[in-house]
Amino acid sequence: MVESASTTRGLAPAPSLGRIIDFFGRYGNFTLGGGSATSAVMHRELVTKRRWLTDDSFALCFALGRLTPGTNLLANCTALGWLLRRLPGAVSALLAASIPCALMVVVLTALFSAWQENHMAQAAIHGAVAAAVAITAKTSWTIARPHFKGGARLRVIIIGAAAFGAYAGLGVPAIYILLLSGVVGAFLPAARS
Amino acid sequence: MNAALLYLLLLKGTATAFAGLASLPVVQDSLVVHYHVLTDQQLNEAVVITRSTPGPVGLYIVSVGYFVAGLAGAAAGWLAMITPALLVIPLVHYTRRHIEHPRIKAVLQAVVLASAGLLLAAAIPLGHDALKDWVTVAIAAVSLAVLLTTEIDTLWIILGAAVVSLSASSLGIIARIT
Repeated sequence: MVESASTTRGLAPAPSLGRIIDFFGRYGNFTLGGGSATSAVMHRELVTKRRWLTDDSFALCFALGRLTPGTNLLANCTALGWLLRRLPGAVSALLAASIPCALMVVVLTALFSAWQENHMAQAAIHGAVAAAVAITAKTSWTIARPHFKGGARLRVIIIGAAAFGAYAGLGVPAIYILLLSGVVGAFLPAARS
Repeated sequence: MNAALLYLLLLKGTATAFAGLASLPVVQDSLVVHYHVLTDQQLNEAVVITRSTPGPVGLYIVSVGYFVAGLAGAAAGWLAMITPALLVIPLVHYTRRHIEHPRIKAVLQAVVLASAGLLLAAAIPLGHDALKDWVTVAIAAVSLAVLLTTEIDTLWIILGAAVVSLSASSLGIIARIT
């Protein structure tokens, strides 16, 4: 366990792998509202109800999950599993939190393909897809918003606009823009957000 | 497309993004623009599918994989989705004392902000493909307004948009812009 003796006081014994799989299978896959909502439910269950981890440990995993590339929620689950049962716990949590929902997505994607010839289904899908454009645009703001405060506002606007212009206006591949932004970030003053 | 190549292309997207949908521009760049194995319509549908089911938004990669190469592609997408999560293990174990270093935070912040700009840019071709009549334009505009001003779950917005579009189609009021 990563937790020190002073911080583990009052915690329940470390759960078995079976209970870890059950927990992440249940709460990693079946909570609506995206990663933040799922993390909130997990916090209530892990820290408050089951007392498997301390508040600080959960906060650390949440923060590191945000800093890990890919899907934040899965990194969060993996970090929590690591604290509970090291590598077996991390792998169990990751698999349990990703396989059931991936299977649901495969089934729904297959249905979407099958509905290509259905006029009514296509009409509904066109509306849903239009909403998806709005969701994509809004997610951009969701990503930038936590940094849009204090002295960092100008940085948000300049870097965001430069990336937007380079991709949409100049056709620079996204991967190069991301790598270049990392290099630029290394020479910028410390982030204040 | 070969599932191994698809995995590497999707991994290039997921490993360079710091949020579920932030990988979308890289995926769009690789599969829609360069390899032509995916359409903007399918990319949009993948987002819809993911927002209509429980689980993380990053699952859209699984749907993209299925569109490109069936079940093998879905498996490649799933692997590409979970692989970066393993990076958190050395982060937790070794580097947590350095994670608050201002220089590291500045680098990560710049990458996150660039990914936000890229995602907004990626919405342009998606919108060009999806918004073909006044009803879909209105749906997108109202959805964006609702998303920006309320905390309503996106599932309800997608369902509402589907119902409005289906009703409009049934009433035959869709008028083509072009």
